[in-house]
Amino acid sequence: MHNEVASILPVLVVAIPTAAAVLIFVFGRVGFWVHETLALLGVAGAFGCTLAVAHQTIQGTALESFSRQFYADSLSSLIMFLVSGIGLLATIYSLKYMRQHAEHAELPAATSMHRLTVFYGWLMLFVATMLWASVSNNVIMLYVAVEASTIASGLLVAFYWDKRALEAGYKYLMLLTVGITFSLFGCVLLYAVGASMIGGARGLLITDLRQIAGSFPLTTVVLASAFLIVGFGTKAGIAPFHPWLPDAHAEAPTPVSALLSGVMLKVAIYALVRTVSIFFPGFSPVASFALGIGVFTLVIGDIMALAQDDLKRMLAYSSVSQMGYVLMGFGIGTQLGIYAGLFHVLNHAMAKALLFLAAGAVMYSTGVRRISQLGGLAKKMPVTAFCFFAGALAISGIPPFNGFQSKLAILVAGGKAGNWWAVAIGIAASLVTLVVAAKAVKSVFWGDMSPAVAAEGVREAPLSLTIVMVVLALLCLGIGIYPKAVYEPLKSAACVLQTIPHAEGSMIASQR
Amino acid sequence: MNPSLIHTLVLLTIFTSFAAVESRNLRHATVAYLFQALLIVALLVAYSTANRVLLYWAGTALVTKAILVPWFLWRATEKTQHETRPVIGFGISTVLLIALLSGMYKFTHTHAGLFTSPSKEMAAIAATNLAVAFTVFTLGIYAILTRRDAIKTVIGLCLLENGVHLSLVSLAPGIRETALIGIATEVVVTVYLLLYIIAGIRDKFGSTDTFQLSELHW
Repeated sequence: MHNEVASILPVLVVAIPTAAAVLIFVFGRVGFWVHETLALLGVAGAFGCTLAVAHQTIQGTALESFSRQFYADSLSSLIMFLVSGIGLLATIYSLKYMRQHAEHAELPAATSMHRLTVFYGWLMLFVATMLWASVSNNVIMLYVAVEASTIASGLLVAFYWDKRALEAGYKYLMLLTVGITFSLFGCVLLYAVGASMIGGARGLLITDLRQIAGSFPLTTVVLASAFLIVGFGTKAGIAPFHPWLPDAHAEAPTPVSALLSGVMLKVAIYALVRTVSIFFPGFSPVASFALGIGVFTLVIGDIMALAQDDLKRMLAYSSVSQMGYVLMGFGIGTQLGIYAGLFHVLNHAMAKALLFLAAGAVMYSTGVRRISQLGGLAKKMPVTAFCFFAGALAISGIPPFNGFQSKLAILVAGGKAGNWWAVAIGIAASLVTLVVAAKAVKSVFWGDMSPAVAAEGVREAPLSLTIVMVVLALLCLGIGIYPKAVYEPLKSAACVLQTIPHAEGSMIASQR
Repeated sequence: MNPSLIHTLVLLTIFTSFAAVESRNLRHATVAYLFQALLIVALLVAYSTANRVLLYWAGTALVTKAILVPWFLWRATEKTQHETRPVIGFGISTVLLIALLSGMYKFTHTHAGLFTSPSKEMAAIAATNLAVAFTVFTLGIYAILTRRDAIKTVIGLCLLENGVHLSLVSLAPGIRETALIGIATEVVVTVYLLLYIIAGIRDKFGSTDTFQLSELHW
């Protein structure tokens, strides 16, 4: 259990990017540099606050504000670190990437200015709402924050305002809003039963609901779990609620794709496990259901990824598959399983952000994203090729990259818990992921140069893009070689989900 | 709290939901939605005799559901008022509605333990309210799934959210105003953004028929 200390930091981490968004909308017409500077300051400020929060939570101290409505423990810190860290890298990447869009879209200067105001303003709100979800301890406000992140990213998905982007934006907002509404029912059920046991104010707090979840009636457990899994699972890209994901992730501007796949899915899975895991100790079928749906998701995602010719859609389907792996880890339900699930959350966030940003660099230089129209690009873009290769190996679970460590941990956890069927499917799906990644690397970067690649003007991406990619590639490699570096923070985060007030007869107890 | 008044109001809520889904004229559907929003406000005021907090809910619902959302829908239907022909027509919808309402009524009255009420009479009212809420919610999903017109799907989304709002009255009457305002505000912003994107779809595709949204496959 964490010691609790009152602190303004959990509020600040949300307020800083929100303030940046407001300033961008107010002063957006002054110049490009205003958007860019404010966005950088906003997300860097949030990252700084996150580091300050993490410094305390890793030592076992939880920070709370406003009577524990805002609450940051080591699990929150992990998600905050991903949101603000990858948010910062995506913003740095956006500087050159979005400037090119503004300069080459053949739009009047005022229109370009307006579009970049919209982009950076909503980007900051997107980051802020995801951070809000990470620190919300109020079960209803958790839903509100997760839905707010959908609203904040809706116009970013439709940003290019062409037929494909508008279709993706409509589907994204409609499907996610309907899906997430189910999670509201789940949250309200938790509150309704919790409030009747411990009072209205405490019945809203997830930390307090966790203490009494073992006494919930079975009907409530089943209904609430089903609503929460469908609701937050839709947002997390869990099959069969995933059809919005490839459209939105592929059609959004690349830095947004990196945030959607790298971070937003993790925020949704965080909301899912933060709420549903309160039932794990006393009601083991909930965990088994999560395991089953996780395995189903990883199979569906991999099969669909195999059939794609669009580089970004392929990566998006791969995200579906990897979220299945994450849910599989949580569904195993043991201490190792939860640790492994969180480890894969961290690793996939980095690897998938890297892959999307590398795909964006390819589009930046060639203007093409169809795999069949690319080839031999490594000769002209060696740094991007190296980074994409690193990301591909990481998500395929090949040593010495980070994905290997977390996938191995999930499989070992599955084996130890006796879920051999899931382990077997997990290994098979991992091989399919390797085939998908190898096909993409070979077709895009190896072999003879395609006409699109051989064209004059195709060259390595600018320094501000490649630096971001290299940082992520080195992190994937570094964590893979030295996983101990993240062991303590992950173990501490896993312990939050392992708080077992009613462990008697539970699945976790039986694993010990 | 007057049980007969509440039963009348909830039955009218079902009727307006059905009218909003089945009306082929988008402006008529918007008016049906507006009436439903006013009925929900009236219901909340009726419930507030037992729980004063619900007066805040009524105020929030009046601003968001009875003023802002109908205004957005009215503006969005200035260019086209006729709905694209839906996938499923009036007859099947009527049969489905009756089956749905009966099923929900039976479910909520046999699982009354989901919510707590101080008296037997209030528990029965809460169960009926929940049955209506789930029916309106499901009708919203039904509209989203079977209506081709994008604006009609937004009306479906609004119905779905109304169902949620009504269910909260039975499930979580003591919920804080901040959470309630958060939920209500999000509906308004989502509807605004969806209609904004649908206006772009009308410009680029020439209509609001969702069957034409076929750029993205698999």
